[in-house]
Amino acid sequence: MTTYSDLQLDALRELANIGSGQAAASLSSLLGKPTDISVPTAAALPLADAVAVAGQPDEERHGILVPIIGDMQAAVVLLVPDEDAQTLCSVYGLDPHSDDGRSMLQEVGNILGTSYINVLAQMTGMALEPAPPQVVHDMLGAILASVLMGRGEDLEVALVLDSDLTVEGEECSMSFLLLPESGGVEDLLARLGL
Amino acid sequence: MATGTEHLARMGEQVVSADAGDVLACVGLGSCIGLALIDRRATVAGLAHIMLPAAPASGTPNGKHADHAVPALLEAVLELGAARHRIDAVLVGGASMFSFGTDGGQQVGARNAEAVHAELAKLRLHPRAEATGGTRGRTMRVRVADGRVVYKEAGGTEVELFSTPVGLRVAA
Repeated sequence: MTTYSDLQLDALRELANIGSGQAAASLSSLLGKPTDISVPTAAALPLADAVAVAGQPDEERHGILVPIIGDMQAAVVLLVPDEDAQTLCSVYGLDPHSDDGRSMLQEVGNILGTSYINVLAQMTGMALEPAPPQVVHDMLGAILASVLMGRGEDLEVALVLDSDLTVEGEECSMSFLLLPESGGVEDLLARLGL
Repeated sequence: MATGTEHLARMGEQVVSADAGDVLACVGLGSCIGLALIDRRATVAGLAHIMLPAAPASGTPNGKHADHAVPALLEAVLELGAARHRIDAVLVGGASMFSFGTDGGQQVGARNAEAVHAELAKLRLHPRAEATGGTRGRTMRVRVADGRVVYKEAGGTEVELFSTPVGLRVAA
């Protein structure tokens, strides 16, 4: 079983911190409202526990998947509770369950995911690019398990980097996860000199 | 199906029970498969939350993999008093919620369902009902008392997938 040292987890948390900081700035300019981020959680967890980082497995979420391609295989996943998706979409007068609403969420994923991925690429010197986002509304457990197992990789431990973004005055929050494949984490740490 | 104690099979885990008050559940199945093995006469049921078809060549199969999980679940329900010839198998899950462009091949959900079918066939166990594939996640519950299996998709209502009174069963 792969485990990471505290030092490595701290480095990954810092990476997530800067990445989600950039994403928060992008969200802020998208919505024209200040956005706060929480201190990210970096945890390497057995798969069964990895889902619990983001909530109960049967809680429903809008899930926006932004696959990362290039030097590291990974995915950025945005998890947005329905009421928060309503708030986000209402800025543009849209319903998150409509086609236009889903398209708006896809664009949010695109903008936030891309700014996060760019920071990651700059800090590590890796060539990383976002693939087109995919949007679903489903159970949290089903979304995360499908992303973690998506490419059929046999993981023992999932590294989860989780940050919360909160839009001020709108009580809108979303969970921002980076899920690297196991080889990707090694590469990431090597690039950071760890 | 609200009464009794609920036992959760999380990813890669299995739960079994011979207590009529129990309910077994897999919550939020995406590409994973929930496999129930049920002997209603003996009031025994088992549920495995299977994530992948098989372990890689270098790895050891465990509860995550169909090739280990299916025989292990059979063994566990037999130990609780199930009789092999009375066992009903029910599958839920194996959805493809996302398409992974780099995957190229078949989606994990479909491969999982296929692998579970293959393992069941090896053990001469017959699927009696299944709700697999599609693009939606599912939660499944198995009531030990009578082997009733229900599932629910996100935002949907509970669907009864498997339920036949023991007395009405006809030999196949």
